[in-house]
Amino acid sequence: MNKQHWQRVSPWALLYFVLHFAYRFIKDGIFNLLPIAVVFVTQVENKLFWGKIGALVAVVGLLLYSFAYYLNFRFCITDDHDILLNKGVFKKERLTLSFLRVQNVNVAEPFYFKPLGRVNCIFDAAGSVSQEVVLPGVSIAYAEGVREQVLTYKEAQQPIEQQASQDKQEQESQYRLKLSNTEVAKFGLMSNMAILALAALAPFMNMLFDFFEQAVINRLEAFYEQEVGLLVDAAALAVFSLLFMVVMIAVLLSVMMSLIRFYNYELYFQGGKFKRISGLLERHQLSVSLEKVQSIVIKQNPIARILQRYTIQCFQATSGVTTGAKSKQSLVMPVLKREQVNQMLQRIYPWLGQTEIDFKALQFKGVEQALLIKNLFFYAFIPSLLFAVFNYYILASHLFYSVVIVAVLSCLVYLSYKRYGYYFYHHQGRYYGIFRSGMLGVQYRVFELYKAQSTRGVSTHLMRRAGLKSLYIQLASGNVNLPYLKANVANEIIDFTLYQAESESRNWM
Amino acid sequence: MFENHQLDCLPQHQSIEFKPLADNALLHTQLSWLLFYLPLMAALAAVCFFNQSFASVAQTPLIIGLPIILLLSLIFNVFSVRLKGVAVRSHDIAYQKGVIWRQVTILPLARIQHTEIHRGPLERKLGLASLRLYSAGGMSADLSMSGLSHADCKDMRQFIQDYTQHNQASEQSQNSLSVNEEELSNE
Repeated sequence: MNKQHWQRVSPWALLYFVLHFAYRFIKDGIFNLLPIAVVFVTQVENKLFWGKIGALVAVVGLLLYSFAYYLNFRFCITDDHDILLNKGVFKKERLTLSFLRVQNVNVAEPFYFKPLGRVNCIFDAAGSVSQEVVLPGVSIAYAEGVREQVLTYKEAQQPIEQQASQDKQEQESQYRLKLSNTEVAKFGLMSNMAILALAALAPFMNMLFDFFEQAVINRLEAFYEQEVGLLVDAAALAVFSLLFMVVMIAVLLSVMMSLIRFYNYELYFQGGKFKRISGLLERHQLSVSLEKVQSIVIKQNPIARILQRYTIQCFQATSGVTTGAKSKQSLVMPVLKREQVNQMLQRIYPWLGQTEIDFKALQFKGVEQALLIKNLFFYAFIPSLLFAVFNYYILASHLFYSVVIVAVLSCLVYLSYKRYGYYFYHHQGRYYGIFRSGMLGVQYRVFELYKAQSTRGVSTHLMRRAGLKSLYIQLASGNVNLPYLKANVANEIIDFTLYQAESESRNWM
Repeated sequence: MFENHQLDCLPQHQSIEFKPLADNALLHTQLSWLLFYLPLMAALAAVCFFNQSFASVAQTPLIIGLPIILLLSLIFNVFSVRLKGVAVRSHDIAYQKGVIWRQVTILPLARIQHTEIHRGPLERKLGLASLRLYSAGGMSADLSMSGLSHADCKDMRQFIQDYTQHNQASEQSQNSLSVNEEELSNE
């Protein structure tokens, strides 16, 4: 390693550090300051003056810390094909990341770097956020050069895979998928981002309700009373209007978040590699090698079913400790039409594409009926009984409601039971599993058996008497499970999965 | 369905013979439980002593309930420790546990990312150790086996390290072989 290779990032990186630490401060540190905020609100008299002083100290502190961090931030790409990084102000840290351990080199272009032609070059290590290296504010050419250097070295170290991918590259032309922003907005309708947005508002709910009661409901009530008269209950109508408004705002937020994440979505596939570029505020580029995909999920929730769209997620290895790692390293194809799903599957699992998404034709095998009986008892009968008792003694309302509760819960339990299914497939010497689950929606997780990390069989005394067993397979991208299988079937699957994991010489990661 | 003609000759995990935990494992479990439980009982007794209104309501249920819970827990621990077992095969490690939910977890050696041997003060005193094995994608250790003798833990760790090194060496030789073949074909 040569000393002269150590370099600093561009001074523009200061912008990144300031914003990064400001974000970290708001995200992680704000709750720690709550006791100080309480003391400030209750004890301090001249709040405006001291508030300004506090804000000034925080801003100056942030700028000084960012500057010191920038001064200490040095990186080096060694001749031994390692990326070395020195960072930290109070706690100095040296990070070493071998090219071989780099899973992806992503180039992200935040909106504040766009006019400057600068990007962040992100080196993803296998599933660990703490081991991620970010070189902020480098030029596009430099980032592309480093990426090329890392990927070329990695390919040179894997000659067999390289040969295979070269062959593939020769055979297939580049596939390109571009999603219109109208389609991306549909993902907002399909996804649960609205719920996340509402959850973020949860701490302010009481305040919001008070405000709405005074500002909106009372006025609406007066309006309805005046306009609609005695035909309907004006107060109920006002509350209903408010709820409708809240739902509409949530949907709007969800669509906006979806557009921020997937704006101008472009996906390329060539030589066994996916490259995705998307984002409104930050054009984020993600590359995923097909060999690194641990499992894929094809899902369709009830809204997606109405819109006749599917979502595909390709999961890579995660550390499992941080959910951030998971979401960052999974390649999402948010809104796909039936034929687009098929085109994608032709590239990921060609054998799966042959069925043209007619998954019913795959003849999934279901789980045992004992699961339905158990779930009906625990999740339908007992809650309904509790509700009936509560209804009878406390609410004294009509028995009809209890019957409705039983019927709804039983339907949901039945749907969930029917969704469970499994299918195994053998294609060109490779063994695949497809596990189906869901309730109102449905999702299929597809994985190659040899990528399993561990297996687990679980049974209770009653299950053993009935010859049943639940099965869990841990993948590097999460768990899959099948409850209540016949014990001999579960055992066969466990034995065969282990055989694949232990006898297969291909690299799983 | 499940097209696999080799199933009959596959090694079956049901026939694994599990090795029970170390002799002191039960003592360790009981002492650990008592170390948690006795201070809790002492704290409740202190509250009863100083707070008469609490004592008038809770004293009788506590005097009857706590010893019963203690006794049941100690009996449960006996079953729990007896049902635990570990087995090392040529290519994987199996661990069984659970009284109500019996589970057998099997972790292929080739998937182990790193290992940890953990020894608390009580474990050191009793010559025991816990072995934690991590693979990718798990929320915490995939296998956390407590109540093993320290010597067994070290042997198992050594076995795993040897296996991993042997695997890496064979992978490297395979790679260099393929590079040579590639060069020859180019020539």
